[in-house]
Amino acid sequence: MDSEDEMSMHDANDAESLDDDFYSGDGADSDEADITMDYEFIDNDSDDSDDFPSHHRSQLNYTVLGEADILQRQEEYITQVSMVLSISRIAASILLRHYNWCVSRVNDEWFADEEKVRRVVGLLEYPVPLPDAKEVTCGICFEMYPCDMMRSAACGHPFCVTCWQGYMSSSINDGPGCLMLRCPDPSCCAAVGQDMINALALREDKDKYKRYFLRSFIEDNRKTKWCPAPGCEFAVDFIVGSGSYDVNCRCSYSFCWNCTEEAHRPVDCGTVAKWILKNSAESENMNWILANSKPCPKCKRPIEKNQGCMHITCTPPCKYEFCWLCLGAWSDHGERTGGFYACNRYEAAKQEGVYDEAEKRREMAKNSLERYTHYYERWATNQSSRQKALADLSQMQAVHLEKLSDIQSQPESQLKFIIEAWLQIVECRRVLKWTYAYGFYLPEHEQAKRQFFEYLQGEAESGLERLHQCAEKELQGYLNAEGPSKDFNEFRTKLAGLTSVTRNYFENLVRALENGLSDVDSHGACSRAASSKSLGGGSSKARGTRGKAAASKSSSSRMDDSGHWSSSLLWKNLVSDRPAGAVMKLADTVKTMLDVGLPVGHILGQMRTEGRWKDATR
Amino acid sequence: MATNSNLPRRIIKETQRLLSEPAPGISASPSEENMRYFNVMILGPAQSPYEGGVFKLELFLPEEYPMAPPKVRFLTKIYHPNIDKLGRICLDILKDKWSPALQIRTVLLSIQALLSAPNPDDPLSENIAKHWKSNEVEAVETAKEWTRVYATGA
Repeated sequence: MDSEDEMSMHDANDAESLDDDFYSGDGADSDEADITMDYEFIDNDSDDSDDFPSHHRSQLNYTVLGEADILQRQEEYITQVSMVLSISRIAASILLRHYNWCVSRVNDEWFADEEKVRRVVGLLEYPVPLPDAKEVTCGICFEMYPCDMMRSAACGHPFCVTCWQGYMSSSINDGPGCLMLRCPDPSCCAAVGQDMINALALREDKDKYKRYFLRSFIEDNRKTKWCPAPGCEFAVDFIVGSGSYDVNCRCSYSFCWNCTEEAHRPVDCGTVAKWILKNSAESENMNWILANSKPCPKCKRPIEKNQGCMHITCTPPCKYEFCWLCLGAWSDHGERTGGFYACNRYEAAKQEGVYDEAEKRREMAKNSLERYTHYYERWATNQSSRQKALADLSQMQAVHLEKLSDIQSQPESQLKFIIEAWLQIVECRRVLKWTYAYGFYLPEHEQAKRQFFEYLQGEAESGLERLHQCAEKELQGYLNAEGPSKDFNEFRTKLAGLTSVTRNYFENLVRALENGLSDVDSHGACSRAASSKSLGGGSSKARGTRGKAAASKSSSSRMDDSGHWSSSLLWKNLVSDRPAGAVMKLADTVKTMLDVGLPVGHILGQMRTEGRWKDATR
Repeated sequence: MATNSNLPRRIIKETQRLLSEPAPGISASPSEENMRYFNVMILGPAQSPYEGGVFKLELFLPEEYPMAPPKVRFLTKIYHPNIDKLGRICLDILKDKWSPALQIRTVLLSIQALLSAPNPDDPLSENIAKHWKSNEVEAVETAKEWTRVYATGA
């Protein structure tokens, strides 16, 4: 319990700083960006099949890759390198793997110092033949064999076929480190490539190696990651530095490319990591991991130290060397820092009062348990509500839509608005869920921000409740009807309208949170009227840019709808035309009601939809 | 014994060579019950704090040997920054730097070399390493004392 906050803080910070290091490592991959462009057709495919309401649909900054795509890319990279450097494909793949599949990096390093690269990677320029003798002794089993029973890497160190097989097997079963296999001779570093694996390893080992080789292309490449959904075999290629991290995999799972947690826009990764750790801190597993392991400072995989010295080397491919005590790089230890054991960072940290801070945080955590429960319940409820909505959505697509089409004598193409409503509900539940994590970490002393945030969240939430209710309950009536209902077209207008209104509420909320609620800051915070005005001002500005996109989108996707209003007009009628004072009054009412324990979302939604909303649609 | 009957040829050959041409200052003989278990003795190298001592070790060849490294441990108490109080040894070739082309002989020679050249920068026993770095003369004295008390005459 106590260390968990420290731990998460530390993680979040580290993750950022490490990413920085990582990304600043090499800047030259413009050529790879070009390659990415070639694959754009995959985007289009996936976009058509998964019709999700994405915020950045028009400018996808990622590509979903299936196994065939990955293999094809891998082949292309290998071909490219092997042609440019005039080396074999095997040598090219060893080089690419060593330089994390970055073609430009391979080229740069190679042309800067070919000899050094060859030495580091283990590529011999002039292969050494096997010893010229009738019989040779295998360096592993010590048996004599005729020369034709022996094999060697380019270095010529002879080992028998059986021993090679065993050597490869133990390396392959040890994990992806087998991709960097070297000659068994301890004094030799000649690389053992996939050609030798294919010629000598057991069939199942060959398959495993192939698997690791494919995985390496995704896992060692800083631009690609596997989709984290269970059982999903797609990977995502992301254009780093291109805005929102949310990606929709072809398996329909959406996740954050940066932290690979479930998509959590507008909440940042650090908050999400803290929140998830907090939620799972109670579980047995997490307790054990926290108590018995430390995350590798570089790759973050938890490491259990069960024996041995403080000098820890992470398992390949990370291989980061660090000190178990202070988690600093091992290279910083030794004479210069007064020896590992002094770990003077610890002393320094203690002097700076870091540990007192931790103590304070622990105390605060205790006090905030109740507060936490409040946010957690709402987070979890929206999570389960989203799951339910997803199930309802698939039920709708699989069964109900056809039934409804029969009963109401409407072609299914005319019922698309229902699916859109459900997709919007699913997306909104996700956003709403994460705003509770956001709310939990919003500092309590930032009164104005809190109020503004809670107002926006309340607006969005009540809108969503209204939409969810309409899609769930009211639709049921039309599903149970005997024949076509007269007012079905009205229902269509209403549901489509609610969908659009709710989308706008949520876009507003997302935008405000992504700006860090900066509208409040810029207006000197405390004045209530001022903060509510800034809401109007800020959103209308953003609407200007977004309005166009929304309008063109709705005209294309809603050609067959009877509604001809634009969503931005609706929004205008709803919020910005209301005098600033009125908006805050509403928020005050909500606050009072919350204090007395009255349900607000519903009433707020009622006021809004039955008052102004009707005016706007008729 | 059943375990001994299907002993790989390599282990038999290594054992024969260890017995017929032992490395200087090192003896290793297999146990009669289990040919994969070796009783090892290493003489403290000259000009080291361990000079004059006889150190007993145990060495075991796991099923996967030579694909996996042998397991080695000091049985005699020793004051050394890379060896802990249970006799476990911090040596790269016993872990990630193992290669099947290494042998019992090379492993034991490496351990002997480790006695000649302690490496307090990559320590296993924190306190001893600290001692070694803060006051090497005194630490060496302790090592000599331990050698005298635990590694002679027994």
